[in-house]
Amino acid sequence: MSEPRYKLHWVTIIVESLKTLKEAILPLVVVFISGSRNNDSGNWFLDNWSMIIGSVLVVYLLFSGFIKWRRFSYWFEDGELRIESGLFVRKKRYIPFERIQSLNYTEGIFHRPFGLVKVQVETAASSGGEAEAELTAVTREDADLIKRRISEGKKRKVEEAGDAIETGIESAETIDEESVETRVFSLNPKQLVLLATTSGGIGVIFSGVAIFLSQFGEFLPLDKVSDELAGLIKFGVFIIVILVLAGLFLAWLVSVAMTFFSYYGFTVRVSDEELIITRGLLEKKRTTIPLSRIQSISFVENPLRQVFGYGRVLVHSAGAAGDGSKIQLFPLVKKSELYEPLQAIFPELDLREPLEKLPKRGRRFYYRIDFVWMLPVIALVSWLFYPYGLLSLLIVPIVMVFGMWQHRSAAYRISGNQVTMRSRGISLETSYTMRKRIQSAHLRQTIFQRRKRVASIHLNVKSGMGVHDVRLRQMDVDEAENLLNWYEPSQG
Amino acid sequence: MRKEPANRLSRKGLTVWRLYGWLQTAVVLMLAIGAGTLTVIFDWPWWVYIIAASVVVLYGWLFIYLFPKIRWSRWRYEVRESEIELQHGIFIVTRTLIPMVRVQHVDTAQGPILKKYDLSAISISSAATVHSIPALATEEADELRNRISALAKVAEDDV
Repeated sequence: MSEPRYKLHWVTIIVESLKTLKEAILPLVVVFISGSRNNDSGNWFLDNWSMIIGSVLVVYLLFSGFIKWRRFSYWFEDGELRIESGLFVRKKRYIPFERIQSLNYTEGIFHRPFGLVKVQVETAASSGGEAEAELTAVTREDADLIKRRISEGKKRKVEEAGDAIETGIESAETIDEESVETRVFSLNPKQLVLLATTSGGIGVIFSGVAIFLSQFGEFLPLDKVSDELAGLIKFGVFIIVILVLAGLFLAWLVSVAMTFFSYYGFTVRVSDEELIITRGLLEKKRTTIPLSRIQSISFVENPLRQVFGYGRVLVHSAGAAGDGSKIQLFPLVKKSELYEPLQAIFPELDLREPLEKLPKRGRRFYYRIDFVWMLPVIALVSWLFYPYGLLSLLIVPIVMVFGMWQHRSAAYRISGNQVTMRSRGISLETSYTMRKRIQSAHLRQTIFQRRKRVASIHLNVKSGMGVHDVRLRQMDVDEAENLLNWYEPSQG
Repeated sequence: MRKEPANRLSRKGLTVWRLYGWLQTAVVLMLAIGAGTLTVIFDWPWWVYIIAASVVVLYGWLFIYLFPKIRWSRWRYEVRESEIELQHGIFIVTRTLIPMVRVQHVDTAQGPILKKYDLSAISISSAATVHSIPALATEEADELRNRISALAKVAEDDV
């Protein structure tokens, strides 16, 4: 039986070429710049070698994109998605339908005029954000066909398995119906601005602008100003203040723009079995996460957002779903409005606040370890910059207060098959974890901790190919052991 | 208080760790001899010898005598019907609980030194983590591996 083979859309050539070009941009720039210097030897080839090499590279890249498109084909056969690609090395990849966990769609700027999408096929084995297979550009109809073929294939498997017990027909029917997607969460432009303003990334952009502005300092004729026009120094200060403010404003604008590009129209929808996240302004992304793959849910509040009662929701997924295993479910949500959408997605989740606090006797461990690096640093700084270096002593109360803050923030709650743990790095993170998602549990105790009868609990949860460590430090040792007992199958 | 896991490692494991300690100390000794030679050549002060010598002695005492002893006496394991419990650690004592349902596969491995002493190491993998029991008599390790793998097969998910 010969199945029809499908090709990708020709836009693939452009997309693939640009992708390789982007990866090769650094060597190309080096070649062009280094070649643009000595070009008066008289020999045309010697003068323009960089142009020649560069052009050859660009042509090669375009050609390789063409080859990729020409030699790429996919088809459906024997319950598998089969892909063949490559010029000299023919690569064949067969992916059984039932192994396919999700299909993610991305519409880049080149896709949109033609109504195309990039389809990423995710399986449990896809690691580190790398999809198992990628169809660079297919039409929407083809994308729907792929989806249909896969769900049909899965259905057939269910039928075969369920034949003996007569449930086959019934389950086939339920899959046959288009599963209903309900919208549970979305972000409006006002929230996007808030998201950009309070994100941690804005700090990075601020410092970037600061570095950029500090470069400007060299161009300003400051020597002359100080020599001749001392009176204008005040004016100079004024200029600097204006520049700094303008810089901050610029940074903020950049941050807002970047947030708009990637989060515009952010929507989460939920069906029976999966979460569907769509987002993006120029490049639209659609990510699906099977609900059964979600391992742990956290609500993270950075201090700035905490003040305003906002935070974000992250989920850890066992399969890498496009953006890695840690997925932003709600990038920005008001704490008071969190419960309804989260409960709509995870009805069985207990979202009550964790109330069990930590014993006071363990508080010292939150900052004592920091003296190991603080003391040498303070000694060194004080010695090098005496007497002003002594100001570094101020770091001691800061670190101590911060440690106490972390201690005070920590809490937990056990409710049925779920454990809720709250702890603070800088941001406050509340993790909701089901017992069956915990791969292993550890109780850790140093001799110092033993003396104070406290211990740390670590719960290992699968996240992509790796581990997400949900932990609570300095619990009362009896309570920590209780938690271990709760986890122990023969006791729980 | 939770009970400690019941089983200890093979006594020969202690011997192997001591052997590792000897090998490491030999390397440190070599470095110390190097420092001594440089001292002779460049006429560095006499206390370099003392420091080098005391580092070697201290290292040897810690890694041949003390640490293996503590490590061995701390190491406990217990394989029950529905979970595996481990305890280990010199400075930080870690107690690990791995439910049988979460066990994906079990391996035994044996390097040349372990082989000489007829020992094997077991490693237990869950979907996300790997845990190992470092030194068991080969026969015991094989038996344990088969037992864990059989138990993991029958273990049922409770939730």
